[in-house]
Amino acid sequence: MKKILAVLLAGMMAVTAFAGCGGQTTESSGSSSGSGESESTAIEVKDSIVDESVFGDENNISLKVWAPDKAVALVKQQVEDFKAAYPGKTFTKIEVVAQGEGDAGTQLLNDASVAADVFSFASDQLNKLVDAKVIADVAFKDYVTQENAPETITAATIKDTLYAYPETNDNGYYLVYDNTVVNEEQAKTLEGILEACRAAGKKFIFNCGDGFYGCTFAFTGGVKIDGFEEDGVTQKFTDYDEAEAVATLQAFSKLMHDYKGTFTSLDVAQIASGFSTGTLGAGVDGSWNTVADQDALKDKFGAAKLPTINVNGTDKQLISMFGYKYIGVNASSQFPAAAQILALYLSGEKCQEQRAEQLGWGPSNKAVQEKPVVADSPVLQAIKQQSENACVQVNIAATLWSPMGNLGNKLIAEQTNPDDAEFFKKLLKETIENIRDEG
Amino acid sequence: MTFVEYKQLNPFQKFAYNFKKFFLNIPGALGRFFKGIGKAIVKFFVSIGRGFKNYGVTFAKGDWATKLSYLIFGIGDIHKGKIYKGIMFFLAEVLYILYIVFFGWQYISKFGSLGTVETHQVQDGIIKRTVFGDNSMLILLYSVLTIVITIVVFAIYIANIKDAYRHQLMRANGEKPTTLKEDAKDFLDGKYHITLLSFPVLMISIFNILPLIFMILIAFTNYDKAHMPPGTLFTWVGLQNFESLFDIVNTPKKATTFLELTEWTLLWAVIATFSNYILGMIVALMINKKGIKLKSLWRTLFVITIAVPQFVSLLLMNQMLQTNGAINVLLTDISHLFGGTEQVEIQFLNSSTFMARATVVIVNIWVGIPYTILSMSGILMNIPEDLYESARIDGASPFKTFSAITLPYMIFVTTPQLITQFVGNINNFNVIYLLTGGGPSTEQYYQAGKTDILVTWLFTLSMTSQDYGLAAAIGILVFIVCATLSLIIYNNSKSMKDEEAFS
Repeated sequence: MKKILAVLLAGMMAVTAFAGCGGQTTESSGSSSGSGESESTAIEVKDSIVDESVFGDENNISLKVWAPDKAVALVKQQVEDFKAAYPGKTFTKIEVVAQGEGDAGTQLLNDASVAADVFSFASDQLNKLVDAKVIADVAFKDYVTQENAPETITAATIKDTLYAYPETNDNGYYLVYDNTVVNEEQAKTLEGILEACRAAGKKFIFNCGDGFYGCTFAFTGGVKIDGFEEDGVTQKFTDYDEAEAVATLQAFSKLMHDYKGTFTSLDVAQIASGFSTGTLGAGVDGSWNTVADQDALKDKFGAAKLPTINVNGTDKQLISMFGYKYIGVNASSQFPAAAQILALYLSGEKCQEQRAEQLGWGPSNKAVQEKPVVADSPVLQAIKQQSENACVQVNIAATLWSPMGNLGNKLIAEQTNPDDAEFFKKLLKETIENIRDEG
Repeated sequence: MTFVEYKQLNPFQKFAYNFKKFFLNIPGALGRFFKGIGKAIVKFFVSIGRGFKNYGVTFAKGDWATKLSYLIFGIGDIHKGKIYKGIMFFLAEVLYILYIVFFGWQYISKFGSLGTVETHQVQDGIIKRTVFGDNSMLILLYSVLTIVITIVVFAIYIANIKDAYRHQLMRANGEKPTTLKEDAKDFLDGKYHITLLSFPVLMISIFNILPLIFMILIAFTNYDKAHMPPGTLFTWVGLQNFESLFDIVNTPKKATTFLELTEWTLLWAVIATFSNYILGMIVALMINKKGIKLKSLWRTLFVITIAVPQFVSLLLMNQMLQTNGAINVLLTDISHLFGGTEQVEIQFLNSSTFMARATVVIVNIWVGIPYTILSMSGILMNIPEDLYESARIDGASPFKTFSAITLPYMIFVTTPQLITQFVGNINNFNVIYLLTGGGPSTEQYYQAGKTDILVTWLFTLSMTSQDYGLAAAIGILVFIVCATLSLIIYNNSKSMKDEEAFS
């Protein structure tokens, strides 16, 4: 009777396997359907809307959109406008699902066939998506290039191919301060901020232990990232002057030790709460926390680009990590043309303006950047200025973050002696080795 | 040394004697262990040889139908009148052939290379379309499935031959084959265990064994951030992942990380297991002592910590131990009471290695001893009272009672539990990951911090740096360490050797 069991076992296994087989067939037939468009010339686009012929033979369109939680309601409304803009087409269903931009790329890589057709993501994931070839390149390259700020286009271009529609130009951090503690002049230098905070008995928060913020120390010292090596996974660094980099790290470490008790390394979530309890004078916070900080400080709110630091007599601007957010199109979408057209619409001028107004997102669209909603906002101005002093968060190796966080941790650690240049030399060398996975 | 001589030793000498004996026994135990493995291997090959012999003999002695069963499943059974079973055998063959032709072959044929066609893009009108090539991961996964199915079908094949020959012999003896009804009845009676177990066995094979084989095989591939399906292919690299964990010359960073983390993992497992065990036992003894009032209240108080899920307590602890966390605030307030003016900012988790490790051990004691107290109390209450009574009559001191009755009894009962706890601590992901996240960070390790143990490192490797091959290799090594230690300790324990000791 063991044999019957064996037969059953084999039978059921075979059935399970066949089930998988069936799934795959539908998938491949899905990706082979598509538009009948054949000429590859530039298509005329006006106000992010194209002629309905671009859809080709796609009709009864059904799409899925991923947007971050806070934006879902707005995107839903924008999708309705999109449907209205193309009255000749039938849309069976356009679904908007909440999915954080931080791991949209990972989710897409897990299973591209069930993921969204159109998705928002942060620029650091672009490389992963391009490598896995799950992201389609932009069909309306000329129009998008002409409409958006050049740095957002450069960051999404790999080997002359534009891979995503720029959505925002604000994914970074800047200085937030209590203007009763720190005045506008003091906010320009790190020394000034720390002195003012100490005088008022308040703290300054900079999250050194997190690689996203901690990389500022290396970047300011001239150790900047520069995409990938030929292999496509190893982080490349620009040439740097080791003596200068070490001196900068020492200057940071010295300030941290001189202002021990004032300069604290805590999670950015502590910044808004620190402002509301009145224990905090200033902090380096992400653009996504702006609303919380404003609520905590009300009219005491001050915003500026990151300060400078004095290294051996010269003031050096702090260089930060700065990213953009993009809208991408899934390469295995069943309606590739419709997905491209929707992405074009959602990244267009009108939609960006709505997001700037309602969500406070900094736009990448050149026309929107000139509008009062951006020009009059001190936060968006601070972010824009910082973006000019930043390394772009694109083509980042997954191994970058923890060594950079460690670098920050070591600078502020009590055991570290800021005058020990050899230590910093070794630390910098090992940090870069770890990032590049050498040895 | 004779038994009488042993009995005359003082307790310290006895301990020294046992201690020495334990270590002297280890080589012998290891020897027996490997000898056992050797024997099992020999036995395995002998049985394979016997299988081949039977295979030939049966073919020689079989009639035409039995001989035909060697090619077409079930013919022998059908010919002898066991129709339903013959049809089932035949169906198994048909299904298997269909499976291989329509599904299995396209994967198993690429098993050796794990795919050759890379994913690429083609221009289709204005839209560029991705054409997916071979997916190494799916090839590996479905190849494993196909291999397992093939093994099962081979077993069916052998069963089919044996059954055909058995029925041939039965017919020669003038017996009739059993009917479907009789067989079905048998499955609810004599073979009921098969009926009950078939479903769980099937599920375990699909959900445990298959993924396990798949994961083990990944350790021998270069599946990492540079080789990510579906975009790029990965392939077999032999023992390269294992080598990089030991090769201190070519991959010094990974090797140092692995060796030092292994050291800390074992140290952690020993400290965490025994601190919980000993402290839990002491508290349980105190609560259980005669004359202590409100026993159930004390017990409940300790057990209340279990009511809060462990990960919640750990995350809260993590917050409390931060530089500006509750504990530092409390210490500051206390220091102000005594005239201090400075703010206390002890870096529990992210500065000194010793401090972080000590903190982890202490927090682990706090979350761990309630469980020990609970099981120890149960055991303590179960020790036969007459043992203590006779000890008292013989005038034994409380310490003597403890060392001669309570302790041996507890160790006897809890050795298997200790082993599970030890292995559990080697793989204690929660405490380390939620409390310190591996920190304090260091530049001396590759993607790991000073309190990281092997499993948390494995987690970082697979989740952030996507070194799946390396992570799988570490997983295998952790398993080998756990399995060997548990087997040796358990086989040398009293619980195993002398099961009847306390009954």
